[in-house]
Amino acid sequence: MSVILECRSLTKKYGSTTALSDLNLSLERGRIVGLLGPNGSGKTTLIKLINGLLVPSSGTIKINGFEPGVESKKIVSYLPEKTYLPDWMKVSDAINFFKDFFADFDEKKAYEMLDHLHLDSSKRLKALSKGTKEKVQLILVMSRKADLYCLDEPIGGVDPAARDYILNTIITNYNENACVIISTHLIADIENVLDEVIFIKEGYLQLHASVDEIREKEGKSIDSLFREVFRC
Amino acid sequence: MLRKLLKHELYATGKYLLPIYGITLILSLVNRLVINVDIFNGALNFIPVFMMIAYVISIIASLFVTFIFMIVRFYKNLMSDEGYLMFTLPVKPTQLVNSKLITSIIWTIVSVITICLSLLLLIATPERLNDFKNALDEIFYVFKASFGKTYALVIIEFILMIISSLFQSILLIYVSIAVGHLFNGHRVLGSFVAYFVISTAVQILITLLLLIVASISGSNIETMEAIPHMVFPFSIIVSLLLSTAYYSATSYIFSRKLNLE
Repeated sequence: MSVILECRSLTKKYGSTTALSDLNLSLERGRIVGLLGPNGSGKTTLIKLINGLLVPSSGTIKINGFEPGVESKKIVSYLPEKTYLPDWMKVSDAINFFKDFFADFDEKKAYEMLDHLHLDSSKRLKALSKGTKEKVQLILVMSRKADLYCLDEPIGGVDPAARDYILNTIITNYNENACVIISTHLIADIENVLDEVIFIKEGYLQLHASVDEIREKEGKSIDSLFREVFRC
Repeated sequence: MLRKLLKHELYATGKYLLPIYGITLILSLVNRLVINVDIFNGALNFIPVFMMIAYVISIIASLFVTFIFMIVRFYKNLMSDEGYLMFTLPVKPTQLVNSKLITSIIWTIVSVITICLSLLLLIATPERLNDFKNALDEIFYVFKASFGKTYALVIIEFILMIISSLFQSILLIYVSIAVGHLFNGHRVLGSFVAYFVISTAVQILITLLLLIVASISGSNIETMEAIPHMVFPFSIIVSLLLSTAYYSATSYIFSRKLNLE
């Protein structure tokens, strides 16, 4: 399996505070990776660095061999915590926008998923609830045939039923050639879909292992291991 | 990709601006009718007054809204949550700035054309157009008389000066917003502060520069016609230099110092 993401001594400082410290990480295609850690541990910083929304203070980050830039953005599909679609857009406007800018965007797939959730594409985003907006964004992001998906808290703001649908969407829509990074602190909900986990604590990488390995070695679920590692 | 950015930029802004320009043009036609049809006596007298006020407001709105919209759009689309989408598109930060800049220039020109057109719709008659043409001829005549053969050059310089100062004032706003976004938590305030600091610093610099130039050249300026040929190119060069500096600083901040909320 080829490497899709490679971080070498990756460090990000904001003034005097260090958000991410000397992180070495290598992720392969075909894996669903849980990026786990308490609030403020550096999860979002790492995801922003991958997406070129922040520039590292030191160290390097490579996506399929490219530093974050135009080439990497073509193959990374990013779902931020924010609702980043302009309010005035109709759902269909947002689909056209994605279709224009991302060569790997599958319009048909997007409309199929909208239909499945009974979402009307002629509706304005302004008229949708926060949870529905999040679903629309997830549909857009997962309708791309990207090499790396970065999902920042994709299930944070939606109800449990929608949560199941979203996780299902993620599992069924990603392809063998792609890697999915899911950042969350709702571990129990996503534990079953993960192949690997990364624990981040106060900017440091605590653990990077496969889920099977952890279950074998530690004899416990990721959720209980998390509670142990991050005990307050 | 710039073409696609421009397409979406024009679509997103035209949705709001084109109706305003349309209303201005319609109101000027309505006013022309109201002025020429003298049937509003007594209590109905308020109608022409009301229409005229609406028209004046629409003219001001065309200019003012275009200006404000340009600023708000830049801030909202790039520096707020929408920035998470714009800065993860497979485009260069400079292309984002270019698309915003070109769109702003286009709408500024369209708004000026709209106002000229609406004045024509309001008052143009064959005689008045003729008067207008005569007035223009006279201006050209005066120009020729005072500048001799170089009068065409003066006009070209004047137009270039306006265009370059338009670029400069838009890019000054962009760089102020980009600098302002570095002030975490006080981004809007930071942008205003950046605007006033940069524009004041530039004013002081230019004044100093002028004083130096004046003291070196002394009172070499012997004829009136030489003045535009000195002032206009000077102003064009200064505007272009400042525009380049603002543009580079904005691009640098967007590619190396980006820090969205």
